[in-house]
Amino acid sequence: MFDRVTEKEVTRAIVEGFAKDFAEYAESDVIIVGGGPSGLTAAKELASAGVKTLIVERNNYLGGGFWIGGYLMNKVTVRAPGHKVLDEIGVPYEEYSKGLYVTNGPHACSKLIAAACDAGTMVLNMTKLDDVVLREKNRVAGVVINWTPISALPREITCVDPVSIESKIVIDSTGHDAEVVDALVRRGLMKVKGFGGMWVEKSEDAVVEHTGFAHPGLIVTGMAVSTVYGLPRMGPTFGAMLLSGKKAAEIAIEHLQK
Amino acid sequence: MMKIFLYSREKFEFVDEIKKYLGETVSKAKVEVRGDFINYFSGTETEKLALEIARIRVTDVNAPFAYSESLYGEIEHEKRVLSGNGSSFGVLYDGFKLHGILQSLIPAEERNLDSIHIILTDRLFGTFDEEDLRYHARVIVCGFPSIISTTGVVEAPAKPREFYIEKQLLGGDKIAIEDLKKKFEGQFIDYDDPRMPDVLKGYVMQAIFYHVFREAFCEDKNCRLYNAHWQEEMIHAQLKRPEFCKRHERLAGLL
Repeated sequence: MFDRVTEKEVTRAIVEGFAKDFAEYAESDVIIVGGGPSGLTAAKELASAGVKTLIVERNNYLGGGFWIGGYLMNKVTVRAPGHKVLDEIGVPYEEYSKGLYVTNGPHACSKLIAAACDAGTMVLNMTKLDDVVLREKNRVAGVVINWTPISALPREITCVDPVSIESKIVIDSTGHDAEVVDALVRRGLMKVKGFGGMWVEKSEDAVVEHTGFAHPGLIVTGMAVSTVYGLPRMGPTFGAMLLSGKKAAEIAIEHLQK
Repeated sequence: MMKIFLYSREKFEFVDEIKKYLGETVSKAKVEVRGDFINYFSGTETEKLALEIARIRVTDVNAPFAYSESLYGEIEHEKRVLSGNGSSFGVLYDGFKLHGILQSLIPAEERNLDSIHIILTDRLFGTFDEEDLRYHARVIVCGFPSIISTTGVVEAPAKPREFYIEKQLLGGDKIAIEDLKKKFEGQFIDYDDPRMPDVLKGYVMQAIFYHVFREAFCEDKNCRLYNAHWQEEMIHAQLKRPEFCKRHERLAGLL
């Protein structure tokens, strides 16, 4: 039924294919750390605009928490106007009540991944952020990465050095962990706010509003925004993630065009 | 001749309605509608202003105001708001500090008793109460200029007590809170509420009374100058007729 190929040919195909892509994306326009809904939306928008975009994802799968809604039920909710992103990627949904839309998580998530990949986004999965690359005036200019399994091993016995990849802009879409931001905080280059005077009811709006550069060279999007600015946690509705990703892409494109 | 300058971002389409109201109520004054206050006076100084405004965000509602180091992203966000490409939704500012920043922008030739500057803004501000030791959102900070917050109209006066009891049970579930709002519809002013312009007219009058007579508020719950702490009181004071108590009706006649 299948053409005859040997094991070594399969191995060479994997290695050469990976090496070619990795070498090409060792320098990107934008590196997005975290492939959840905000990161994927940003990637879709950026790649669609012709921006060379790479997603670094620590898991072997993309999508983050977008596969399922609250309580492990695979219905995800989106508040208007976030549903317009669902229109763009061709995901059917129902209006549950005025301004609240419900759709199947697996359908929405897989479509969003496909849209990002179809647009030309490259993905490095099973890859974990180790540190940031810094340039003049501590501008973020890339990330230091390693295989995800390395981080699970005792440092004393692994001794596997990471590698660095560069970009004009890095986007932190790692959720509440805000891993890129945290790397800057550890170096004493950035501070984040604790819980503050933000209003709980406006946290979705505030996440979108505060999406943007949090440090030279670094844009924060999605729930990483709430970590940086001390916004309250949100319930299981994804509108802000999608619109925050869109806004991150708009800001990145505007910056790249300068 | 007294001049009233109303400042408003373009999106407040109701500002012309307020101007018309003032033309009828404060007949001795000339009313001029200007654009956004900051854009009108600050010119290209947005960088410095963004820094100043980012510093007056309230970061702890349970502590007196203290300047904190602004994050890079907060300053960038304020720049976007100042350039009209963003909104300050979700941020609480210190009302007195905000007033100070805005006051410093008024040029010397317009700093006189004949000029009343009234700013309509969607920024939410609050003042720290020394008695219960926490910040309270405000609709108005009277002074030179006076600042009136459309967001404050929605957020500052308390909604019905039952609303908060039920809301407490919902935690941070914003969808359920929207449903809850529908249950109490009409009992408070919400965003895009058609009653908003009428409510704002009363607060504009508070600013004018403060400037002319040094008294912004009235003890009478039936007077537009009543300092309402509940939405129910605010709606009553602003929408019922006659507008003013007898004393303030008489004083309004002098304007």
